[in-house]
Amino acid sequence: MSFLGYIRSDGSVGTRNYVLIIPQGIIAKSICDFVAGTKSILTVDHGSGRTANDREQIARLLIGLGRNSNVASVIVHAASPGVGYPELRAERLADEIAAGGKRVEVLDPAKDGGTYGAIVRGIQVARMMVHDASKLRREKVGDEYLCLGVKCGYSDTTSGIAGNPAVGYLYDKIVAAGGTALFGETTEIIGAEQALARRAVSPDVAEAILRAVTIQEERAKATGLDIRTVNPVPSNIKGGISSLEEKSLGAIHKAGTTPIQGVLKYAERPTRKGLYFVDNWMGHLSIFAGYAAAGANVVLFQLGGGGVAGRTLLEGSPSVVAPFLWATANPKTYAAATDSIDFFSGTVIEGSETPEEAGERLYRTVVDIASGTLSRSETLHYAEPIDMYLQEPRF
Amino acid sequence: MSAKRALIMHPHDNVATAVEEIRAGEEVAVPVVGTALTLRATEAIPFGFKLALQDLSQGEIIRKYGETIGKASLAISKGALVHVHNLEGTRARGDLAKGGKP
Repeated sequence: MSFLGYIRSDGSVGTRNYVLIIPQGIIAKSICDFVAGTKSILTVDHGSGRTANDREQIARLLIGLGRNSNVASVIVHAASPGVGYPELRAERLADEIAAGGKRVEVLDPAKDGGTYGAIVRGIQVARMMVHDASKLRREKVGDEYLCLGVKCGYSDTTSGIAGNPAVGYLYDKIVAAGGTALFGETTEIIGAEQALARRAVSPDVAEAILRAVTIQEERAKATGLDIRTVNPVPSNIKGGISSLEEKSLGAIHKAGTTPIQGVLKYAERPTRKGLYFVDNWMGHLSIFAGYAAAGANVVLFQLGGGGVAGRTLLEGSPSVVAPFLWATANPKTYAAATDSIDFFSGTVIEGSETPEEAGERLYRTVVDIASGTLSRSETLHYAEPIDMYLQEPRF
Repeated sequence: MSAKRALIMHPHDNVATAVEEIRAGEEVAVPVVGTALTLRATEAIPFGFKLALQDLSQGEIIRKYGETIGKASLAISKGALVHVHNLEGTRARGDLAKGGKP
């Protein structure tokens, strides 16, 4: 019931030890290309033309990533088109990250000799930060310092029968140890919301779960479309899932059985430990960065199968600073992408393991990766861009 | 030849999920606590797809995980494949909402 992690000055514990450079742009990219041990983000959106709510959401994502326990120190540069807005000013982002107790430096081309000057100074600062970070040693800590985020995707019926129940076992175990566990995907709880609301710690939390579903379901109805042409997505239907309700009822198994402590917005940090529902969207380019910003120090993608065939390389989804694991219960998926997949629970379908036994193996896999073993996707440099979950129109 | 396997997720379910490829006419065993329900598949049930455990009339609620996953859009006979052609989800249906086109 422990892992080896990096103890931070704010009392949190990291599973990795990166220097983060934000927001994206040529300054961040250049520093990362030059200095080992650094991470940055990739996204097409800098906040220009976005509403105050959405700008705050972007800020929450950037600040949250900076505060993640996997980050030793942070460089914020002021060369993003978004920094003209008060929410996204470099000093504001830096101050809020530094409030968590870690070292933050701001690069400002206006003071640092333009773009070139900022890159040169950034490289110098980042090298010092990475070197300082490397002096930290992993120490044995309890599982209460784990914060997990999960998404299930390309779901098929193996997801609901075996894959998600194994994750649910892991979630129950981490929560019982005093850790934190995040799940979400509001569209994919439509049809299962009453079962979740019954697990809320308070009537207010139950109401928040039901409200999130009502808003999303009304949005779906307002399109005038038959939801079955949208979600379940074609790969779900090809995998045997017949309705959104069936998908949802299988999906919630990944949340285990513990009480739901609250409903969080995208990239919002939980205030306590335990299981939280995040009112987010299923997109894999969106959800994991949001979990990392909320504090997740390990994230999992529980994969069904759908269209996975042949010799498939599964690249990771953008989780920026949180190690990313692939798990599946579908034997065909596992056979097609064995070298990409960190965990297989098809044993439950074959009848050779119970969901609990598979869940125990998943727990050990997560602890290994939390302690420093690379996840399969961490062996790749490739990173897809983040599709930030923003909901308001652009102007 | 031994029966093929399908799983139910809850005692109240009226469909089971095939965890092997099942051919038309094959016997299917569904483990239930303390016993095993057996039935004959009336058509092919691919891995991961569902078959009806009883005759279902049009409009009848279809249950998996002990919860509603939709209703039968056609009459479904015991042992038949249950999927989008005869099971209709009822949630978030913009096409059925007021003002929506059927």
